[in-house]
Amino acid sequence: MGILSSMADFIDGLAKRHRLLPWLLAYLFLLPLPFVLATLFNEYLIDLANRICLFILLAVGLNIVKGFCGQVTVGHIGLYAIGAVTSAVLTLEPGGFGGALGFGWPVWAAIPTAVVITAFAGLIVGLPSVRLEGAYLALATLGLGESVRIFIAVTPALGSSTGLMMIPAPSIGSFVFDSFTSYYYLVMTAAIVGIYFSFSILRSATGRAFQAIREDTIAASVNGINVVKYKLLAFVLSAIYAGLAGALFAHMPPGYLHHNNFTVIEMVTLLLMVVLGGIGNVWGGVIGAIVVAIAYDQTKDLVFYFMDRPVVVQPLVFGLSMVLLVLFMPRGIGGWIEDFQRNRRFIRRSEERLSATARNS
Amino acid sequence: MGFDYNSLLAFIIFGVTIGVVYGIVALGISLIYSGLDIVHFAHGEMYMFGAFFGLVLAHNVGIPYPIALIGAMIMTAILGMVVERVFYRRLTRAGGGYTVAGMGMIICGFGMSVALVNVAYFIWGAEAEPFRANLDYIPRLTFPGDIKVPESYVLTAIISVALMAALHYFLRHTKTGLAVRAVAHNKDIAYLMGINVPLMISLIFGLACGLAAAAGVLIGPMQSVQVEMGYLMLMKAFAAAVVGGFGSLPGAIIGGIMVGVFENLGAAYISPSHKDIYAFLLLILVLMFKPSGLLGVEAKVKA
Repeated sequence: MGILSSMADFIDGLAKRHRLLPWLLAYLFLLPLPFVLATLFNEYLIDLANRICLFILLAVGLNIVKGFCGQVTVGHIGLYAIGAVTSAVLTLEPGGFGGALGFGWPVWAAIPTAVVITAFAGLIVGLPSVRLEGAYLALATLGLGESVRIFIAVTPALGSSTGLMMIPAPSIGSFVFDSFTSYYYLVMTAAIVGIYFSFSILRSATGRAFQAIREDTIAASVNGINVVKYKLLAFVLSAIYAGLAGALFAHMPPGYLHHNNFTVIEMVTLLLMVVLGGIGNVWGGVIGAIVVAIAYDQTKDLVFYFMDRPVVVQPLVFGLSMVLLVLFMPRGIGGWIEDFQRNRRFIRRSEERLSATARNS
Repeated sequence: MGFDYNSLLAFIIFGVTIGVVYGIVALGISLIYSGLDIVHFAHGEMYMFGAFFGLVLAHNVGIPYPIALIGAMIMTAILGMVVERVFYRRLTRAGGGYTVAGMGMIICGFGMSVALVNVAYFIWGAEAEPFRANLDYIPRLTFPGDIKVPESYVLTAIISVALMAALHYFLRHTKTGLAVRAVAHNKDIAYLMGINVPLMISLIFGLACGLAAAAGVLIGPMQSVQVEMGYLMLMKAFAAAVVGGFGSLPGAIIGGIMVGVFENLGAAYISPSHKDIYAFLLLILVLMFKPSGLLGVEAKVKA
C-alpha cells in the first residue's frame, strides 16, 4: 500500500501541474519497451505487446457501451471484424489472390474509412437497443456479430477460407511500419490515446448521461437526457474503438487476416477482460486486457492429453473462469481499484481535518 | 425454365421438419425464460450433450433408438439441474432483473457454454461422429410429386408432436404443471400459495434440458453428432423463440417452423453457403420491428 500510495500521490501531483503530464510520462515510460523485451526475452513478445495494445483498445471500447452505458452487447468482435476486413480490402491490390476484392487505396486513407464504416455498423448494432434491453439486446448483438463472421467465412471476395494475404503495411515517407518494433509505436500510441479519450468521455457531460442511463433509464429521460441519442452514441463510440483496433490489426505484420480471428473464443476472451477488470472501470479493463491477453497467449498451445487424445485446455479454463468470476468476484479488479481510491480519499480528508483542528487550537 | 413447384414443396417439407426440431429447443429456452426470467445461453450445449448421450446409449450400450432417446433426455435433464443448482442459483437468488446482475447472468451463461463445449471435447473429441439408427420399422412417406421423406424425418415429426402434446398436457392438466405456471407468473405469490418454488425451478430447468436433448437425439441421424453443433442450434432456437414471441410456448413451435422454412428456402433460392445467416437475419428483423414476436407478450422494459 505504501508504494502504491506514494505513486498515486506523485501522479496526482503531476496531474495538478498539467492534466496531460501523467499521460506523457506513461508514454515515455512505454517507449523503450520493445528494446527491453527484445534484449531480455525475444522478438515474439513484442508481437504479444502489439496484440495487447489492440485488446486494450477493444476492451476500453466495450467498456464504454457496457460499463458506462449499461447496455449488454456480445457482438463486439463482429465490429472488430468489420473494421479489419474493410481496411484490408480497401488497401489490397485489385485482382488479388483467390478472388479477394481489392481497391488499392493508401493505408492512411483506408484506416479512417474503415473506422467510419465500423461506426456506421455500430449504429446498426445499437439500433435494437432503442427498443430492447437485457437479454433481447444480447441476442440481437450476438446474432449481428456472428452473422458478420459467417458472412466473411463464406464470401470468397472477403477471403473466405484462405484469408486475406499480403495486406500492405502503413508507411510515412520511406519509413514502413512493417516490423513488430515499428508497429508497436503505432498501436501503443493508439492504445494510450484511446484510454485517454475514454476518460475524457467519462468525465464529460456525455459520460454523465451514459451513467444516468445505466443507473435508471426512466429517471434519465425525466431529467432531460435524450436516451435514444445517447444509447446510439455509446454504441458508435465503442464501434469506433473496435474499428480502429480492427484496422490496425489488419495491417499488423505479417499482414494476414483470417476469419478464425473473430470466433466466439475471441468474444469470450474480450468479455473475460472486461469482467475481470470490473465492468465500468477503465483501468480495471486495461489491466484485465493485459492479464487475459498474456494468459491467452501462454495457454494457446497448452495441450493436455486425456485418454491419448490431445485436448486444448484454454477455452475450458477461460469459460470456467468467466463463470466463477461473475459468481465470486463480480466487481473484478476494478473493485480493488475503487476501494483503493476511496481509502486514499478518506485518509486525505481525515488528514486535512486533523491539520485544520491542529491549526485552530 | 419453368418454376419447379415440386422442389419448392420439398424444401418446405424439409424446412418444416427441421423447424420443428428448432421449435423443441426454442420451447426449452422459452420455458426457462418464463420460469426464471433468464435467457439460457448454454442451452445449445445441453442439446449437444443430449445428442452425445443418445449416441453413447445407442452405439456403445446398444439400447434401441427410442429408449436411448428417453435415456438421453433423463441424463441431460439431470445435468441441467446440476448446472442450475450449482451455478445459476447463486445469481438468480440476487434478483431476476436485467440490471448489472442480469448482465452477470448473460456473461455467466456465455462462459458456461464455452466451458461445456470443452468438457465435451475432453470426453468425446472433436471428430464428427455419425449417428446410425435402425429405423426400418418407420414407413417412408411419399408426397405427391414423388418427394420421398426419409425415415428419420418422419420419426422426428412424430416424436416432436408427441413431446409437445405431452408438455401441453403436463402444463395445462396436471397439478404440478399448474404450480410451474404459477411460478412462471409470479414467484413471490407462488411462495405464499405454498409452492416449493426452488424445486419447481429445478423442474423447469430439467424439462427444458430434456427437450433440448430430445432435439439432439432426433437430429443425430440427419446430421452427424459433433461437439460444436450446439452453437448454431442455439442461435436458430433463439431466432425461433424470438420470432414466435419469447415466453410463448406455441409461439416457439411456430417460430421454429418459420425459421426452418425460411432457412431452407433461402438456401435453395438465394445462396446455399449463406444458409446459417438467414436465421440471424430473421431474428434481427423481428427484434427490430416487432420485438414481442408473433404471439409473445410485450417485450419487458425495466420499470
